[in-house]
Amino acid sequence: MRHRQMLAPIAAVLAAATLVVTACGPGPAEKADGEVRLQMVESLTNPTRTTLLKKLIADFEAKNSGIKVQLISPPTNQADQKIQQMLQSGQGVDVLEVRDTTVGPFSTNKWIYDMAPDLKGWDGLEALTPNALKVTQQGGKSYMVPYGFYGLSLFYRKDLVQQAGYSGPPKSWAEMVEQATKINDPSKNRYGYSFRGGLGAGGNAVAIISGYVIDEINRDNAFKLTSGKTIFSSPKAVDALNLYLDLFKNASPKSSVSWGYPEMVQGFTSGTTGFLLQDPEVIATVRESKTIKEDQWDTAPLPVGPTGKAAQPLANAGWGVAEGSKNKEAAVKLVKFLTSGDAAMTFSKENSLVPILKSAADDPFFKDGPWASYVAMNSSPDTYIVVTQPRGVAWSTEWGNKSDADVQKLITGKAQPAEILKSWDEYWTKKWAGN
Amino acid sequence: MINDYSLAGRIARITGLGLCLVFTLFPLYWILVTSFKDPGTIFAYPLRYWPTQFSLANYQGLFEQSNFAIYLGNSLIVSTVAAALATVVSLLAAYVLARFEFVSKGAVMGAFLVTQMIPGFIALGSLYILMTRMYLVDSRWGLVLVYVAVSIPLCTVMLRGFFENVPASLEEAAMVDGCSRLSALFRVLVPVMTPGIAASYIFNFVNCWNELFLSVTLLNSDSNKTVPAALNGFISSFNIDWGSMSAAAVLSIVPTMILFAFASRYIVQGLTAGAVKE
Amino acid sequence: MSVTDTDRPTATGGRSTPNPRPRPVGGRRPFTGRTALVLLAFMLPAIVFVGLFTYYPLLSGIQMAFRNYNLNDLSDTSWVGLQNFRTLLDDEMFRGTVRNSVVWVVGSLVPQFLIGFTMALWLRRRFRFRGAYQALVFFPWAVSGFLIGILFRWMFNGEFGVVNDLLMKANLIDTPVPWLADAKYAMFAVIVANVWYGVTFFAIMILAALQSVPHELYEASAIDGAGKVRTLFSITIPSIRTTLALTVLLRVIWIFNSPELIFGMTGGGPANETHIVTSYMIQVTQEGDYGRASAMGVMVVFVLLLFAIFYLLAVRPKKAMR
Repeated sequence: MRHRQMLAPIAAVLAAATLVVTACGPGPAEKADGEVRLQMVESLTNPTRTTLLKKLIADFEAKNSGIKVQLISPPTNQADQKIQQMLQSGQGVDVLEVRDTTVGPFSTNKWIYDMAPDLKGWDGLEALTPNALKVTQQGGKSYMVPYGFYGLSLFYRKDLVQQAGYSGPPKSWAEMVEQATKINDPSKNRYGYSFRGGLGAGGNAVAIISGYVIDEINRDNAFKLTSGKTIFSSPKAVDALNLYLDLFKNASPKSSVSWGYPEMVQGFTSGTTGFLLQDPEVIATVRESKTIKEDQWDTAPLPVGPTGKAAQPLANAGWGVAEGSKNKEAAVKLVKFLTSGDAAMTFSKENSLVPILKSAADDPFFKDGPWASYVAMNSSPDTYIVVTQPRGVAWSTEWGNKSDADVQKLITGKAQPAEILKSWDEYWTKKWAGN
Repeated sequence: MINDYSLAGRIARITGLGLCLVFTLFPLYWILVTSFKDPGTIFAYPLRYWPTQFSLANYQGLFEQSNFAIYLGNSLIVSTVAAALATVVSLLAAYVLARFEFVSKGAVMGAFLVTQMIPGFIALGSLYILMTRMYLVDSRWGLVLVYVAVSIPLCTVMLRGFFENVPASLEEAAMVDGCSRLSALFRVLVPVMTPGIAASYIFNFVNCWNELFLSVTLLNSDSNKTVPAALNGFISSFNIDWGSMSAAAVLSIVPTMILFAFASRYIVQGLTAGAVKE
Repeated sequence: MSVTDTDRPTATGGRSTPNPRPRPVGGRRPFTGRTALVLLAFMLPAIVFVGLFTYYPLLSGIQMAFRNYNLNDLSDTSWVGLQNFRTLLDDEMFRGTVRNSVVWVVGSLVPQFLIGFTMALWLRRRFRFRGAYQALVFFPWAVSGFLIGILFRWMFNGEFGVVNDLLMKANLIDTPVPWLADAKYAMFAVIVANVWYGVTFFAIMILAALQSVPHELYEASAIDGAGKVRTLFSITIPSIRTTLALTVLLRVIWIFNSPELIFGMTGGGPANETHIVTSYMIQVTQEGDYGRASAMGVMVVFVLLLFAIFYLLAVRPKKAMR
C-alpha cells in the first residue's frame, strides 16, 4: 500500500527529533590520529589584534606539530559572557583570555586551572617584570600569565594645542579643562575632549577622582582611602567630579554622552576632538588614521590632580587554562609560548601594551614617539603612582554598569556630583560589608 | 461605499499614502545610498542625498576584511533548512489542530501561544548547557534544531488558518478512495494550500534569517557565524565602520525583501487567517 | 493568533466578500483508537521540538529566579525564595525600566494604530498600483529589530545623521540635536524607529478585516444618510472590533518583548533612559546575575498573561461578532 511510502516523511522528522534527544556522539576535541586540538577564546577582541594572534598561533603550531589551535573571537562586549557560558558548560574552551576583572569570579567557581605547578622552574618567570610576576603569582596561585598592562595616557593634537596658544599639552586636570575649552568650537565640528560617557564612563571618572585623593589613597585597594573609607567619601572627590562635569559641558561634543571605546577613539582619529585619554593600545589605531598625520599628534603623561600627582590604575589581562580542558599540557604550553620571548614582545609591540618583559626596557621601540610618555611615567613613580583597583570583585560588571549610568546621569544634569558620590560610597561600603 | 469621491478627499488620500510610502522607504534608501558612497565621503559635509559616483569600495572592503561570504552562506543554509523542517513539522500539527477536537487541544494551543510572551533571555543560559550536553554548541545543525523549535508555534497557528479554508470533504473523499490520512494530507491538501505553505515557509525563513541572540549564544567560531551575529560584531568591535556596516546591512536585507515582495500577500493571509473573522 | 475563536473560515485576500464562506468545512469529528494514534504521531514532532528546546530551558531558567544564581560566584546557589523579586522591586533602576516599558509600549502602539488604521481606510478602495504599494510598505517587516536599530542609529547620529540634516534644511532646528545622547530625545527616537517597524502590520491586518465587512452595511448606512464620521464609528469600527482587539493585544506582547531594536540603537542609554524591562534583562544576564534576570523574565510572563486575560475579558472580542 502507498500507506507505507507516505510514512517516510514523518519518519524522517521523528528520526531527526529523536536523534537530537539521544545524540551522544564523541566530543569534537579528540581526533583519531592523536592530534591535539586546542580551543582558544579571546575577550578584548579587535580585528587588528585577532590577526596578530592568529599569526602568533601559526608560529606556535609550526613549532609544535601535533597541536592545532582554533581561535574564537566573540565581539568584545559579549565576550566575557560567552567565556563564562563556555567555562560553566565545561566544554569548548582550553585556553582563554583572563582579565583582572574576571580572574576572581572564574577562580571562585573553579573554572580555571591553577598553573603554578606547571610554571615551577619555567625560565619565562625570570624574564617577567616585577609587576607581571606579581600578577602571575597572585595569592600563591597562577590562574593567568599576563600578556601586558593597560595604563592610561593622554593623546593630544599638537597642532590644535599650538593654535590655541599653548606651548605644550596640559599637565594637570585643571589645565586640561582650560585647553580643551579653548580648542572647542562646535561650529567647525571641532571639540576639545573625547569624553567617555558610554560604556566605561565610570572608569574614567574614577581615574580623575583617584588623582584628586591620591595623597590618602590605599595603593593596594585604590577605591579605599588609608582611613578605610571609600575614596568617594572624600570632599576632594566632589571637586574632581565638578571639574569633570565642566570638561563635558565646555569642551566635549554633546553626543559623547553615549560614547564608548570605539566612538571616543573615532572622535580622535577622525580629527573631531583634541584630547583623548586612553590605553597605549590606541597608538596603533591612531597611526592608521588617514585624517590625522603622524606629526599632528603625540601622547603625554596622565594629567595630575591638584597636589601634582596622578594615580595610574594599571589594568591587566593575560592567558589562562580552563579547568575543564582535557589537554592542559598543550594548553599550558601555548600560554607559556605567548607570554615569553619573541611572541610576548611582538604582542606588546603590535598591540601597543605596556610590556611584561624586563628586556623591553632596553628596546628602543618603547622609547620613541608616543611611547615616550610611558617611559616618562615609569621613571617618576612618585608622581604617577601605580595603584591597584579592586577589579576582580564578583560585582565588577554590575559596578561597571552602575557607574556608567551614573556618569550619564551626571552629565545629562539628572544628578549632582555629591549625590552620585554618595551613592557610590554607599554601594562600596555595603559590598565590602558583605552584602 | 465610502464617500470620499470629493477632490479634496482624493488629494488628502493620495498625499497621505505618498507620505507613508516615503516614511517607509526612506530609511532603506538611506542605508542603500550610504553603502554606495566612497568610504571617505560618508562623513562628508554637506550630506549627499544620492551618491555622485557609485563606489563599491564598501562592499569590497566588507568581503576583504571579514568572511562575509561565509556568513551569508551560513545564514542561507541554516534558514533554508530550519524553515523547511519547521514548516513540515508545523503542517502536521496544524492539520490536527484544525480538524479535530480533543481534550488537550486547548493546552497545546495555550502552550504554543505562551511562547510568544516569554522573553528569550530567560532560557538562554540553560539552553546553552543543554546544547553542550548534546554536543550541539557551535554547530549550525544545532542552531537549526533550535530555530525549528522557535518557529513552530507561530507557523502552526498560521497553517491552521489555511487548513480551515480548505473543506474537509477533499481529504475525506481521498480517504474513501483508499488513501491513508498522511497521503491524503500530502497529495490532496498540500497542493491546494501551496500559497499558504509557501508563505509560512518564507515567514519562517525570514525570522530565522534575522535571529540574533540565539545565534550569538550558540555559535562560537567565525566559520559558523550567521549574518546578524556578524553585524553585531561590527558594532561592538574597534570602530563602528559605517561603510562596511551599511554594505552588510544592505546585503542582509535584500534577500528577505525580495522574498517578502513575492509573498507578502499570502503572509498577510496567514497572519490574519486566525484573527480576522468578521 | 486566534486566541478565542477557531471555528470560522476567514475571508481575506483582495476582495470584499459580502458573505463569509458557509460554515465549515472541516467540522470537528469524533475519532477512535487508530486515528488517535495517527494524530498523536502528527503532533509529536512539534511537541518534542517545542518541549525540548523551548520549555525545558525555560523551566530550568525559571527555577533560577528563586535561587541565588550568579555566574560570578557559584559557590552558593541555594534557594532564596522571593529574594530576587524583592531585590528587583527595591531597585530604583528596575522601577525605571518598568516606567520606560510603559512609555515604550504606549508610545509605539498609539501612533502605530492611528497611522495604520488611517492607511487601511485609504487603501480600502482599489487603485491601480495597490498591490505593489502594499508590497512596498510591507518591507520593514522583512528587517530584523536589531538591524532597524542600527539603521535608525545611523540616521539619528548626532554629527552626521540625516535626520538633523533634514531638520536643519527645513529650518526647524538651528544646531544638530544629539538625539541618542540626550535623555530628552532618546526615547522619542527609538519610538520613531519602532513606529516605522509596526505601522504596516496594523495597516495590513486592519485592511484585511475591512475587506471582509459586508457591503450591504455601508449601503444601508448611506441610505440612512449617515455621514462619513458616523459610518466610521457606527459601522466600520464595530464590524472589525475583533481584529482591532486581537491585533492590539498581539502588538503589546511583541513590543514589550522585543528589546532587539533598543539593543541595536541605544543599548539602553543614555543613563538607562531607553532601557525597558527586557533590554535591562539582557544587561543583567551579561552581568552574570541569572537569578535576578530570570526573576525579571518570570515577572514579564506573569504580567503579560494577566494583561492578556483581563484585556480579553474587557473587550470580549467574541461577543462583538454575533
